[in-house]
Amino acid sequence: MRRLRLALRLVLAAVFVYAAYTKLRQPWLLFALSIDSYQLLPQWAVLTVARTLPWFELVLGLLLASGFGLRWVAALTSLQLIIFFGVMLRAYAKGLGIDCGCFGAGEALTYKTLIRDGLLTAGAISLTVMAFKSQKTSS
Amino acid sequence: MKNIFASLLLAAVSLAAVDTQSSAPGKAVGNPSAPMTIEVFSDYQCPGCKALADEVLRPLKTDYVAKGKIYLIHRDFPLQMHPHARQAAAYANAALRVNKYEQVSAEIFRQQSVWSANGQLDAVVAGVLKPDELKKVRALLTDSKLLAEIEQDVALGNKHNVRTTPTMIVTHKGRQYPVAGVVNYGILSKFLNDLLSK
Repeated sequence: MRRLRLALRLVLAAVFVYAAYTKLRQPWLLFALSIDSYQLLPQWAVLTVARTLPWFELVLGLLLASGFGLRWVAALTSLQLIIFFGVMLRAYAKGLGIDCGCFGAGEALTYKTLIRDGLLTAGAISLTVMAFKSQKTSS
Repeated sequence: MKNIFASLLLAAVSLAAVDTQSSAPGKAVGNPSAPMTIEVFSDYQCPGCKALADEVLRPLKTDYVAKGKIYLIHRDFPLQMHPHARQAAAYANAALRVNKYEQVSAEIFRQQSVWSANGQLDAVVAGVLKPDELKKVRALLTDSKLLAEIEQDVALGNKHNVRTTPTMIVTHKGRQYPVAGVVNYGILSKFLNDLLSK
């Protein structure tokens, strides 16, 4: 159980740090265009999310790697991934021919993206459950 | 079998001829030596491509292309899922030979819902061409050179890893930025201004 928790934590940490890195190394307005193509948010919100999300992902990734405050960090990670998954599912169902925007520009949103994001979401939820259970056991 | 062989031959010729900057005159607008190039990979039967043409490319031509800031190139990228898209691209490319590309291309987009449903592209194109022009266009529809040009655009799209339409490839100072889907012109404009200011 501990090994599985460690593995999940490190995989999610790596994914989040990499996702942040790919977004931060490109012009932030290019990421804004990716967000905008989902046709969900008004312009001011698109620009705000594009400015802040990569840094938020970076912080989450580093916190996951450190293991600090794992219960809440894992819960936040799960929440973020659930939102991403829902948004992607909606875009896919609507047939929007867009980029995923997950790891920078240039990756089309396909069923493979949905499977990958679904697995990451399941992993994050499992990690959250394990983190809360282990807290109960130790207290 | 003969068709498959012809398609393979066309694809081979196209791949060999792929060049990011080259485009049939008329399918590109603006100054070829502009500081930025945008290639728009588009499918005439895709609703998003029509929306992009109406909501984004139209103001882009006024604000950037006409001012010499952007060289805009149309690339055909008919998707397999759209049964009439390739034929629409053939009509538009044939219209280029009678100097009516802009008009025919705009009309094909304008009546997208009509011909997408009934497949009657000829009637749509006939509305904007003179009888002699229409005759020439019809004769060109099976021209191997014309079909090879469409395949060349598709091959170029594949080289750019285009998977969906519309996709814009923005090239500035040797760097390429893919932008997929229908985007807000305000945000695109901010992005382009930011790049152009560097």
